[in-house]
Amino acid sequence: MIAELLFSVFAVLAIIGGLGLVLARHPMNGAICLVMTMISLAGLYSLLSAKLIFVLQLIVYAGAIMSLILFIIMFLNIRKEDLPKEEWRWAYYLGGIVVIAPVGLLMTKAVKALPGSEASIMGNGFGGVKEVGVVLFREWLLPFEIVSILLLVSLVGAVVLAGKRRVEQ
Amino acid sequence: MEILSLYNNLNTFLIIGALLFSMGVYGLVTRRTLIGMLIAAELILAGASINFMAFNRFTAPDPQVGQIFTLFIMAIAAAEAAIGLSIVVAIYRNYKSIDAEDLVELKG
Repeated sequence: MIAELLFSVFAVLAIIGGLGLVLARHPMNGAICLVMTMISLAGLYSLLSAKLIFVLQLIVYAGAIMSLILFIIMFLNIRKEDLPKEEWRWAYYLGGIVVIAPVGLLMTKAVKALPGSEASIMGNGFGGVKEVGVVLFREWLLPFEIVSILLLVSLVGAVVLAGKRRVEQ
Repeated sequence: MEILSLYNNLNTFLIIGALLFSMGVYGLVTRRTLIGMLIAAELILAGASINFMAFNRFTAPDPQVGQIFTLFIMAIAAAEAAIGLSIVVAIYRNYKSIDAEDLVELKG
């Protein structure tokens, strides 16, 4: 029963974090809400018995990426008067609800039409480091290497884009 | 669907993923600061990856490909955050603004 309780808490926290991201005006509040969502998503992954992804979600996503975003927001030093005025906020909310409600109804119908597949008990190895690693390095080796090239390119690109440029005379 | 089997059920995870995804899309459309749009895009990626994890757990658990995809999504999100944030920094340096509507000089 504790798993049920944990699932409810994590699901509600994830949704609250998303809502806070949508409703908050300052990017800092939005980023903090996103950290909350990421941590509760890590809890949901652990309830899905994916141990490796749970750890990586905490370390990489909620740790590294979000601290990078928070660092840049602090670096930009955004004050309240720098924020763009959003006079049409309430119209946006109303329009968003009007647009999203039919899509949401459609999605709920589609989800209900799926056969409800109950989880069977997984073996001990499901989602462990060894099992995921074997699949990753045997069958997905080429995409893995391509992702490493992508990260290298984005690293160089970040340095080039954000680095200080010499003034050309 | 009784309330007790809530977390052993694919549909609840799918609904959470759909909610996160739609909130991300809404934020991406309505935010006017560049950095807010970037954060909303991260929320979209989170919604997609929880779908992958749930499908992997409930329908195709044997080769754990869904978890591999979540790993790749994390890597893509890291690259996207790095490039996007450096673009934001460069724009802030040139325009002294983070408002997306100030950047209309490229208008044709």
